[in-house]
Formats: sequence, structure tokens, C-alpha cells
Amino acid sequence: MTIKPELQYSKDHEWVKEEDGLFVIGISDFAQDALGDLVFVNLPEVGDAVTAGEAFGDVESVKAVSDLLSPVSGTVAEINEELLDAPEKLNEDPYGAWIIKVSDVSATEELLDAAAYEAFCAEA
Amino acid sequence: MSELKRTQLYDAHIAAKATMVDFGGWEMPIQYPEGIIAEHLYTRSCCGLFDVSHMGRLLIEGPERLAFLQHVLSSNAALLDLNQAQYCIIPAEDGSAVDDAYLYRFEEDRFLLVVNASNTDKDLAWFEPIVKNYDCTIKNITSETVSIAVQGPKSEEILKKLANVDEVTKPARNNLSTLMMEGHKVLVSRTGYTAEPIGYELFLKNEDAHWMWNRLIELGGKPAGLGARDTLRMEGMLPLYGDEMGVDEAGKPMPIFALALAKFAVSFDEAKGEFVGKEALKKQAAAQACFKAKDYNPEAMTALPKRVRPIALLDRGIMRHGMEVYRNGEMIGWITSGTMIPYYMTEGEGADVKLLPETGKRAIGICYISSDVPVNGEVEVDVRGKRLKAVIPSKHISNNVPPYVVPVIYKQK
Repeated sequence: MTIKPELQYSKDHEWVKEEDGLFVIGISDFAQDALGDLVFVNLPEVGDAVTAGEAFGDVESVKAVSDLLSPVSGTVAEINEELLDAPEKLNEDPYGAWIIKVSDVSATEELLDAAAYEAFCAEA
Repeated sequence: MSELKRTQLYDAHIAAKATMVDFGGWEMPIQYPEGIIAEHLYTRSCCGLFDVSHMGRLLIEGPERLAFLQHVLSSNAALLDLNQAQYCIIPAEDGSAVDDAYLYRFEEDRFLLVVNASNTDKDLAWFEPIVKNYDCTIKNITSETVSIAVQGPKSEEILKKLANVDEVTKPARNNLSTLMMEGHKVLVSRTGYTAEPIGYELFLKNEDAHWMWNRLIELGGKPAGLGARDTLRMEGMLPLYGDEMGVDEAGKPMPIFALALAKFAVSFDEAKGEFVGKEALKKQAAAQACFKAKDYNPEAMTALPKRVRPIALLDRGIMRHGMEVYRNGEMIGWITSGTMIPYYMTEGEGADVKLLPETGKRAIGICYISSDVPVNGEVEVDVRGKRLKAVIPSKHISNNVPPYVVPVIYKQK
């Protein structure tokens, strides 16, 4: 399992990176492995409000649907439309395949650094 | 809660790093590390190996074994010659299904009946008061034997090598043979649950399980889990008890003739005589025949209000078991099975079909909807609050010419 040292992680296995004033959000390698082959992604629309700890979209594997839980509260500034046609990118390159970028962030979930997240995954 | 049962191959699945799940009281591999999509495609192009030892294996022995089976099964068991098998359903008196099953005749003087793992106990309890009236016995040999399904275009070649024979079984589906493979006795059946034109199910003694599994892998087979088994059977419109058989989402029993394949599984032959559910099934069969002639008269619609049909999603999304299906705003049934299923692009026709390296995937499934929806009829599916467009095609695949399954992709007009 890969954990990128430069990212922060939520306990729901999303990663977060601050970039040019936006919060970039994706799912961790641990998450994609646990979810299995992803075959569909439901994304919010640009301008939608997202709330920390609540679903902003979902991913579907062959077997099941899983909510994507937002690690932050704010406004969706960009979505990764490439994922709509190629959800498998979330499996192949979880840290390259960002899902949404959020602006006007007003609150965040508890975020872990790489070492704390690794320990958290080891307990899971 | 009782402890989960394990097959003889449990440690092989663990060693292969399979993800294990509870399936009908058994701890079974749902997938191996390569994943469901890779396992599905490998079965379609080459050869998938499935541990199906969890399925219930029942030996029916004794002088009145045939009379008993004729009474409790939907099929005409008298048609089975030695080394033949048939698909059948265990009907209830109201014409719904207690279970579906496969009946094999490997030996002159006994039958092997294979039933769903999750229904084995229920089926035995169902048979118990009936079998008392016949001079025959039912012996549950599930834990004494293993069963491995070897499915896909390369399966025949692999078994030919193992048995050192020119012919594994007679060429058509439902033929059986008993072969010696490297000194081990193996019962071989040209059957399966993947819709592959070429595929086998093997029955062996427990002590031969690992030898067989390992040799099949060495010769090019790859383990595939219950996840791929589900997508493969869904593509082929093969029903699963609990989804396309049993009770519907509203708790009502589903009639056996809601399934198109009931006409191959149910016999009203005089030689079969009276059997459980016969009267109800006759009415359902008449209704199915009307629908075939596009006659949706009220009597037929009452006997068989809904049917099990393929469904393909036209909008973006995925259909899942339990979602509601609508026609012109009216709820007409439910999705019984659905997911995103991969396929190989193909070129050529008939026996010259070639699989291309390119693959695609499509959101398809099976639904149980009002019987009067015609082929190519458009419907809507409620996918978590959104009404998505879908169509009822005639089928999802074509598999009548070996060696390859050819996907039938619905093209919107």
C-alpha cells in the first residue's frame, strides 16, 4: 500500500492537498484497494456546496456503491471529468486521479499526516 | 451465529490472497487480487476456474429414485440416459420455485442432484416428507466431495491434456463422462454457470482437490471468484435463486414461467405423470406461449403478470438489485440483478469470431417487469432517486457457436 508523505488524509480514506488556494480531494490507495475495480463515479457539479463528513458523490465497483465523504466544507470549484469515462484511473493511480477541488473552505474533518494515517490503516 | 463452512480449497484461496465472504453459510472467495473484471474477461478469452464445492450435492438412490424425482422436479428425468444431465427446477405447489438444480446421471443406478448452497438445508427439509413415500434415499455428499467448474474457450484443451483423451465428453452441452486424469478418477460434465459455449464441471474426491486445482492452474486456468461468476451468469441471463427466483421485492412468489428458460426445464410429458406444482405451471406455460405470440390477453397477464427480462441502461449509471422500473410513470417491476459488466470487442461471425484486444464495459442486468413490455421496449429505472432510461433487449450475449461468447450491444435508434 502506498501513502504519499506530502498529503493529508481523512479517516474515511480520502486524501487532501492544498494547492493554489483550493483543496484537492481524492481517495487513498488503501481505499481503492478495498473498493475493488471501480466502474462508475457520480460527481457533484461545479458550484455545489459540500459539507465535511457528508457524501459529495459516490463510486461504484462491480459489487457495490460507496459514498465519497467530503473531508472539507466548501464549494466545488472543479471536478475531474476524465473520471466519468475512466473511473478505473482511481484504481490505477489514486494519488494522480483527483476527484474534486474545493474553494471557500470553512471547515475540515480531522486530517491525519502520512505517518498517523499509516498507523490508522494498520489498525483497520 | 454458526461458524462458516470451508471448502477443501479454502487454504488455496487464502494463499492466492482472495477476498473471502460469507456466501450461503460458506466462506468463499468473491475475488482474487486481479479483480472481478480481469477474472470475467479471462474466463471469456481463456479459462476461469471456480471452486463450486459449496453447492449442495445430493445422491438419490434406491428402486423408486426415478419416480421420486419425477414428482419433485420440473423436468422429465426419464429422458436422461447414462452420462447425461439436465437443468431442472424444484417447484412448489403454487408454481413458484423452491430452488433450481442440475440433475446428473453418471451411473446407471443413482442420480446426482446439485442444488444451491444457500438452499441445501431448505431443499432437504422440503424433500423429507415426500421421499418417505418412495423406496429411495437422499444422501448429502457435499462435504465428502469437491466440485470445480472449468469454464471458457481453453477448458476443453486443458482437460484433454489431463485425461490424455481426444474427447472429454460428447461435444454438446449436458454430456457427461467419467475419466481417469493422471491416476485420479474425475466425473466430468459439459455444463456450467458462465454461459460459455465450452465449459465443464468436475466432481472429485476431497483428497484430489488440491492436485486438480494446481494442475488446472499449471495448464493455463486462472481462479475466478463468486463476483465474476455473478457477472458471467448475469450476462448469459442465467437466473440466481434469490434474484430471479423465489420471492419478488414485494414478497410475492415469482412464477417459474417468468423465466424464459422454464420451457426447457419443465416437462408436461405424459410419462412424467403428476408432479408438484403441475396445474399452476400449466397455466403459466400457456401464458408464456401467448406472450411469445405477442398476445397479452388478461387471462395470460393474470397467470404471469411479470417476466424476467434482460435490461440495458441507456443513460450513465449502474442498476442494482431492488431498484424500481417504470413505464410512462407507472411502476412495473424491479431490477433483480445488475452491475457494470466488461466484454471483449469481437470481429467476424459464427465460428470465425475473433476476440480483439480492446474491451468495453456496459451497465446491464436482469429485471422482473410487467409481461407486456415488448422486446426493445423503453423503460426507466429509479437509480437512487434519478430516473434513467433503459431498454429491454432480446439478450445480452450470443453464445450458440463455440468457442466465444459474443456480446450483443444494444444500439439506440
